[in-house]
Amino acid sequence: MNPEAGEILVVGGGVSGMQASLELAETGHDVMLVERAPYLGGLVSQLDHQFPSNHCGMCRMLPMLHRDSGEQSCLRKGLRHDRIHIRLSTDVTAVEGEPGNFRVSLRKAASCVDPIQCIGCGACVKVCPVETPDDFNAGLSMRKAIFQAAPFNMLNSYRIDPAACTRCGACVSACPTGAIHLTDADRGAFRILVVDDEQIVRDSTAEWLIEEGFAVEKAASGLQALDLLGRSSYHLMLLDIKMPGMDGVEVLKKAKDIAPGITVIMMTAYATVETAIEAMKSGAVEYLIKPFDPEMLLSMADKHYQAFVEAADEKITAGAIVLTGGAALYDPSGDPRNTLEYGVLPQVVTSLEFERMLSPAGPCKGLLLRADGKPVSRIAWIQCVGSRDLQLGADYCSSICCMISIKEALLAREVSGENLRADIFFTDMRVCGKGFHRYKELAESAGHIRFIRGRVHSAIPEAVSGDLQIRYVSLSGIEKEESYDLIVLAIGQRPHPDMPRLAERYGFSLNASGFAESLPFSPSETHRAGIFMAGSFSGLKDIRESVIQASAAAVNASRTMSVLSKSFPQHLDTKDIPPFPDVSREPSRVLAAICSCDAALDVCMDAASVVQRLRQDPAVQDVLFFNHLCAGQDRESLIQEIRQRHPNRLLTASCASCADIFQEVAVAAGMDPRLSVTADIRMPVLCAMSSSKALDTAAKMQQCADLMNSAISEGLVRVKHADAVKPSETAVTARALVAGAGIAGMTAALAIADHGYPVDVVERSDRVGGNLNWIHHTLDGHDVQPYLEEIRQKVESHPRIQVYTRAQVMGVWGEAGHFYTTVAGPDNSVMQFEHGSVILATGGAEASTSLYGHGTNPAVLTQKELETALHSDALASRELSSVVMIQCVGSREAPRNYCSRVCCQTAVKQALALKSQYPDVRIYVLYRDMMLYGFSESAYTRARREGVVFIPYSLDQKPEVVPAETGACVRVFDPVSDRRLEIETDIVVLATGIVPAFTSDDGDIFGVERDPDRFFMEADAKWRPVDAMKTGVFGCGIVNAPLTISETVASAQAAAMRALRILTRTTLASSRITAVVRHSLCSRCQLCIAACPYQARVLDTEADQIRVNAAMCQGCGACASICPNSAAVVEGFSMPQLFEMIDIAVQ
Amino acid sequence: MKDAENVQLAEALAPIRDMVKACIQCGTCSASCPNAFAMADTPRRLWRMLQAGEVQMVLKSGSFTLCSACYTCTLRCPRGLPLTDAMSALKQVVAHQDALRFASTTLFYRKFMESVRRHGRVRETEFMCLYLTAMKNPLLPFQFAPLGLKLFSRKKLDFRPPSKGGDARMDALFQKVHELENAP
Repeated sequence: MNPEAGEILVVGGGVSGMQASLELAETGHDVMLVERAPYLGGLVSQLDHQFPSNHCGMCRMLPMLHRDSGEQSCLRKGLRHDRIHIRLSTDVTAVEGEPGNFRVSLRKAASCVDPIQCIGCGACVKVCPVETPDDFNAGLSMRKAIFQAAPFNMLNSYRIDPAACTRCGACVSACPTGAIHLTDADRGAFRILVVDDEQIVRDSTAEWLIEEGFAVEKAASGLQALDLLGRSSYHLMLLDIKMPGMDGVEVLKKAKDIAPGITVIMMTAYATVETAIEAMKSGAVEYLIKPFDPEMLLSMADKHYQAFVEAADEKITAGAIVLTGGAALYDPSGDPRNTLEYGVLPQVVTSLEFERMLSPAGPCKGLLLRADGKPVSRIAWIQCVGSRDLQLGADYCSSICCMISIKEALLAREVSGENLRADIFFTDMRVCGKGFHRYKELAESAGHIRFIRGRVHSAIPEAVSGDLQIRYVSLSGIEKEESYDLIVLAIGQRPHPDMPRLAERYGFSLNASGFAESLPFSPSETHRAGIFMAGSFSGLKDIRESVIQASAAAVNASRTMSVLSKSFPQHLDTKDIPPFPDVSREPSRVLAAICSCDAALDVCMDAASVVQRLRQDPAVQDVLFFNHLCAGQDRESLIQEIRQRHPNRLLTASCASCADIFQEVAVAAGMDPRLSVTADIRMPVLCAMSSSKALDTAAKMQQCADLMNSAISEGLVRVKHADAVKPSETAVTARALVAGAGIAGMTAALAIADHGYPVDVVERSDRVGGNLNWIHHTLDGHDVQPYLEEIRQKVESHPRIQVYTRAQVMGVWGEAGHFYTTVAGPDNSVMQFEHGSVILATGGAEASTSLYGHGTNPAVLTQKELETALHSDALASRELSSVVMIQCVGSREAPRNYCSRVCCQTAVKQALALKSQYPDVRIYVLYRDMMLYGFSESAYTRARREGVVFIPYSLDQKPEVVPAETGACVRVFDPVSDRRLEIETDIVVLATGIVPAFTSDDGDIFGVERDPDRFFMEADAKWRPVDAMKTGVFGCGIVNAPLTISETVASAQAAAMRALRILTRTTLASSRITAVVRHSLCSRCQLCIAACPYQARVLDTEADQIRVNAAMCQGCGACASICPNSAAVVEGFSMPQLFEMIDIAVQ
Repeated sequence: MKDAENVQLAEALAPIRDMVKACIQCGTCSASCPNAFAMADTPRRLWRMLQAGEVQMVLKSGSFTLCSACYTCTLRCPRGLPLTDAMSALKQVVAHQDALRFASTTLFYRKFMESVRRHGRVRETEFMCLYLTAMKNPLLPFQFAPLGLKLFSRKKLDFRPPSKGGDARMDALFQKVHELENAP
């Protein structure tokens, strides 16, 4: 790690950690990513499918620009990026210092298996006698003590679970490559030498130490001890003073000459204590008075062992820290009531266990089978297990369980077919995120999932069938019984048990529920400067929110670095590529260099057949074999060989993770790196070796050899036809445009401007602040106006921010890195700007309505009108005895089929405010589902305790409002008391929801599509939530989706981060794989323009040519397949290449 | 008059209302209750009536008299509400408020306790004699006869007359409870 680079530490390698690391790495920071588990991906690595596509889309987090700087492969296999340094199985043990200079110690857990030597053959697993529950499959299946931590991982070497391993050593002798070193584990790595002439002391001391796991050797005399010290190394020596021949003090002096670093403890009888003290002057650290008891000895040994471990810790400095430690999940078996008998009945599983059951790599191999083998045809999901439960101290909602259950129900029907009955028992379905409500409706109508409002308290197994009987009451009080094959508990969040310790170590504070607490209005900032957080660390989040918050944390960490160093990120230039000789007219001369990964692959490689096969192709000039091609001597000799033999193309066969090293080798040897290809021969071996097919070892080896051969042949085809096309580049204008000066626009502008780039903010109205101008306080009780004032002042006084009010963007032309923008100002003035990226933050407003007599009956207000009235004299002078609030007015039904997320919180906020102003007022909230997700649930509890009455209504029995003397009379059917209520009320408050200020014209102007609900359409709802499909355009705040203030701030900071990924570069170079047009074959039919999902193609009318923006092109090949004339071609995928590769594959 | 009664009742019910204010109407109590099948209004509906301030409805319902204090609902309530306590508080309030309507029920309780006071435990035969005499309904014993015979055949009833008057050892306890209940 480069100490000058100003690195940032990211702790936790789940989705949030990976996203934060990628964001920072892509803006020029060196990142240290530390993860405690032996694999990246966190909780999501255990979930194969995600809403809304019900597939995995993790790879969409990968850079879309400059894609070559990171590996473009499945993120479940691993993450690789030039600027991200990854430490797996590693813990942070100490943190001190201040922003700009945190000193951090990292400790790596020993794995006992050398990842380079391990070829994943699994011979160790066959002989391991220990079976233990597999954590990755949520304990549903068993694994051995030596195991692969996660399926799919790229370098998935085996590792040993120290807690389960009995150190029997069977695996050591079974390993064909000698990769296993049992002694490496923990104390086994600490070598102790016991020196005493008395055998009984020597043996018992050694025995005590060995029992505690230390590696111990014994010496009977000073001479023998010195001999042993000369031959191998020890960390600690226990040395007797009084010995015949050479005494202890003399041994000590000589030992210090041989091994100066060794720690020595003298053993002495009481009579010679003074000698022992004398010995300490010669370098002994302590003494033990004989006779000593084991505790004394062991505590002393352990103290020196701890010091040894600490000394071995990796020490780094970090300018800022991003914590993405995630959360734990609730374990229902820990509840003393446990009425659903989780952990007792195998037919009751948690949602995480069910995800593993659905997974093809899981315990049921993707078939839904119960523990007793019965195929599952009726499943019940039970919501709020461990959430919203005051008896368990969980006065919060876990936010994501409702969506997980809907997804699981749909997936279960996909797996088990249409006949599967899937019922979800809920109290409130909290489908309040973007697209959630539509997903739920689809699940109900097309997916035939039944949603039942009711809480199930217990399950009774039937003796013979093992089916589970449950009982619940419908809303109207009718008791019902149902029978299921399987019950899935939607388990909620718990803070990680380590949280108090982490809070102390890093100096952040915890909220009442034990999760990390953020600053008001900025969810990614902790109370300690320089330490940021993202993801479920502050309470469970779905992927979309985690990704947004991770980007926000990244921008804040990056900003800390910029502000501290008073210098801004260097423009990241693409690597300078010196001119290489043009070999395009020469016939291919390929040098093939084959690496055996430190001889690990030798066992299954058939060198003769590799050579023979390669030699069949006349393009192959030489075939060379190496042992360790990626470093040291072999790397140098490859460079020499290239210089001597003058090939014009290089084929390396090795593990994929070394690909970029060989690019550097090519450059060092004077070759164009674009004419170098790496064939991955490690992966096929790992796949073949770990496949469950029952083959004997010889057959498996043969299969490996075949797979390696075809991988090499494929590589040969690719390199043979490789073309050295210089990537085209777009110069970046280091300036940003932000449309909209609400809190989202201002926050985004500040984040960018603090990095040193000028920002133009265009605001339609005559004042900045947007919706915050009429909001006075939040549900958490924070005052909004001082915050708005602070931000407004920062924006207005910022030297790099220019705000244009009463102005409107009329047109945006151009492409990522360089847009031309026309802005219409006041008094018909027109301004022109050039920008590198554009952020849309035009916001939204409360929807207007004429329902329930709004507009005709003065007693009927909207939530916004109530907020205004509460803070003016309009209400203050009135006596209020009764207020009715109606939720979901014109929302969550056609045509506005979405939840506006904030209205339920607002209703509770206003109810509490009214109750404090008028203690005797009766308040009724008529709702469909109360969306008090996360910690806002506690406000809901508070409102109920204050006596607010919540009455659910359904769409077919909406409330009615009629004018009355007092104000209005509301008629509503209360299903709980099973009768119609007539409520005389002074005012009726309607929650009409949010509509975006985003017309179809705006969409055309910015080149952005609108989603079905007319919000900004992101490139990917989960993984790229603030990016538009058009590269360089971003959307944040409520133009993207309804959000609270702090969520808006996070999304604005995320958008700023994304924009900075462009602004921090001077040029945007395309990656190597992009589409090109053969103009002579092109008929200008423009089919490719319509087909391109990234809007990277335009018709250049002046040149009469189709033009491809190489920076925006993602090389997907949609154009190449639609082009009728083969005029659209993706580089690296030409016809001859593809056909030859298909030939090899089918051979 | 009616209004004044209402106000008085609402005041009496206010502490009980506070007990169940945080209810989220999830229905766990009603699905758990072993006696819910016999109740005209499920426990959840009772809490709703209390929340909405429908005091007369609560009084009229009377479903709470069927609570057998098994505490299952209290154990299972996710909101941790003292539901069984609320039920028993309701019983106490209506025993005062609507004494006439619940005369036979409260009589049953009183005679039960009278037997307990005398012997430190209930003596079924004595208890039923006290109850049936107090009810002054000559037909009532016939209603209980089948049950009594069944219990007798299973040796659950002792027809020997109880020892005279007991030894009054429980008096002090009952006296204290009485004082506590009537304390302001």
